[in-house]
Amino acid sequence: MNNKLLLSVSPHMHKKETVSIIMWMVSLSLLPSGIAGIFIFGPKALWIILTCIITAVITESGILSLRHKRITIMDGSAVLTGLLLSYNLPPDLPIWMACIGSFFAIAIAKQAFGGLGRNIFNPALAGRAFLLIAWPKYMVTFSKPFTYPDSITCATPLTLIKEGNADNIYQLGLNYLDLFLGNRSGCIGEVCIVLLLLGAIFLLWRRIISWHIPLSFISTLALLSWLWGGSQIAQGDVLFFLFSGGVILGAFFMATDYVTSPLTERGQIIFGIGCGLLTFVIRKWGGYPEGVSFSILIMNAVVPLLDRFCRPRIYGYIK
Amino acid sequence: MKGLLREFSKGIFQENPIFVIVLGLCPALAVSVSLENALGMGLAASFVLVFSNFIISGIRNIVPSRIRIPCFIVIIASFVTIVELLMAAFSPQLAKQLGIFVPLIVVNCIILGRAESFASRNKILPSLLDGLGMGLGFTLALSVVAAIREVLGSGKILGFTLFKGYLPATIMVLPPGALLTLGILIGLTNIIKSKIRR
Amino acid sequence: MDAGTILSIIIGMVFINNFVLSKFLGLCPFLGVSRQIKPAVSMGLAVIFVMTLSALLTWLVYRFVLVPLNLIYLRTIVFILVIASFVQFVEMVVLKKSPALYRALGIYLPLITTNCAVLGVTVLNINEFFVNGKPISASFTLSLMQSFFAGVGFTLALLLMSGIRERLDLVDVPRHFSGIPIAFIVASLMSLAFMGFNGFRF
Repeated sequence: MNNKLLLSVSPHMHKKETVSIIMWMVSLSLLPSGIAGIFIFGPKALWIILTCIITAVITESGILSLRHKRITIMDGSAVLTGLLLSYNLPPDLPIWMACIGSFFAIAIAKQAFGGLGRNIFNPALAGRAFLLIAWPKYMVTFSKPFTYPDSITCATPLTLIKEGNADNIYQLGLNYLDLFLGNRSGCIGEVCIVLLLLGAIFLLWRRIISWHIPLSFISTLALLSWLWGGSQIAQGDVLFFLFSGGVILGAFFMATDYVTSPLTERGQIIFGIGCGLLTFVIRKWGGYPEGVSFSILIMNAVVPLLDRFCRPRIYGYIK
Repeated sequence: MKGLLREFSKGIFQENPIFVIVLGLCPALAVSVSLENALGMGLAASFVLVFSNFIISGIRNIVPSRIRIPCFIVIIASFVTIVELLMAAFSPQLAKQLGIFVPLIVVNCIILGRAESFASRNKILPSLLDGLGMGLGFTLALSVVAAIREVLGSGKILGFTLFKGYLPATIMVLPPGALLTLGILIGLTNIIKSKIRR
Repeated sequence: MDAGTILSIIIGMVFINNFVLSKFLGLCPFLGVSRQIKPAVSMGLAVIFVMTLSALLTWLVYRFVLVPLNLIYLRTIVFILVIASFVQFVEMVVLKKSPALYRALGIYLPLITTNCAVLGVTVLNINEFFVNGKPISASFTLSLMQSFFAGVGFTLALLLMSGIRERLDLVDVPRHFSGIPIAFIVASLMSLAFMGFNGFRF
């Protein structure tokens, strides 16, 4: 009996692709932007990416063998978590910190809940938030692009504008093309917008992600930034707000994680709007210059409620 | 004699108020930023626990059962006020660090819980020992949480720097670190308990 | 008192200084009543109600009884008695006037007496909004707002937690970590997420 019935928590999705193919496809679509990150920030970025992936894989297999479970490293989920975490870290982070962040992401945010498909919070973002609160100084020190091997530290455009050092990007010596191609300081995988967008288009085309969350996330943030992001109402620099932080990486690759996002389309749209709203509030009034990871984490906590209250009505059932 | 010893020792591990019964968590998390605070809090709560157990056990046959809870609360609150005033007089620094968690000992579930489930049904001597054991278990648990948080979160223990060059993980002295530490410790206690049973 | 102060209190009490996730007040009901959504909502509403009105009563008692009589050292005893008798009174009124509401909220009311969040908020109000026994300006309004939004923050944390725990019931969390330990880990991650609001200012 036990062998015949398989009970598992939703989402139950029927697709030709298996979980592992999806995981590897997402990793593949992220690859170009990581290569761009290594090109922009130098080999140290490569070491961080490799550290995160290797730590994630070792932690996952260690815990699975402690729990006497089949070691399912080849499903690619640990690799993807490590990859995403490293994309959210500054290139100058000490290697051992990246190691601890990756361990936390897998051990606490994923395996303590029972592993793939059971976690409530996005493991990579939980790892990033952990590091940000634990060693804030190291997590907000960024290096200027193309200054390796002896890197020059430089704050991110969002921080500079938030602290009132400049009013617009031209005063920072940047233009929109720089932002679009990734010629700015920031986290390893978030800077090269054009390659991230290419990856996202690939995922949308293969129907691995749907448009609901990214669109509602980005358009909410764009609208709010346009209205209240500038010095006067409806004067905000929308392109700057969208391309200067982790929004593109967050909206397409992290908010869309199957396990930690709502199941229904209505739920997904509410989820995206919530992410956009919280990101804007944190950027505008919060203490941190960037709020993408925190807002996705907060909305992750709301997902079970969204799933519950956005359940599709059963056909023919009258309340 | 053996029974009395058991009343004393059960609070330390088998029925540890924090790790096993999971009561009285608010102070366990809030004041466990440093070992010093934890010891102070443990001492204060044990003091209240022992004396309230003593008095409640002494009057258990006099108080009508319908109004026993309000009576217990008044007795506990009186001892808490004594602790508050003593602490403010002799160790104002500690009183300041523990803040509102000193008056909140009144609503610490362990104290009312022991009053209701033990002291109001047992003789004076066992109640005293129960209070002492539970107080000790509470203090120990608090100290374990606090020691972990202080070492990891500020690289110190009782104010002394342990390792030179250690970069403290600030998160451990902040709220998420407290919740995480306690969650993991309760999980580990469960593992140890099931190992012992086997 | 301007809009900025009000918004700061709201964001402060609901997110940054959330009573459960940051100040660790009211953890027992937070763990005890968060297994399902419905009871969690009822408990949250009851706590908001009791907290706000207890704050009102204790503020009046402190201002007009304890301070004039020079009895401020009796604060703890008097406050817990005020809260306990108030909760008892509410319970009786609700039972008499609305048995339906009593069935929904009744069993939560006695639990609230020993909820340290209620006593905690009244003591905090006195600590923050009185200087040497004298109320600061708008002290009364500030106390009421602080208590109300502390209750809202408690309810939000409880609601999110109950949704998550309902879902966790369906999965095989490692055996030794199911129940309380995983609830703490969830709370820790929630608290981590809420830290995104740190340094909030208008």
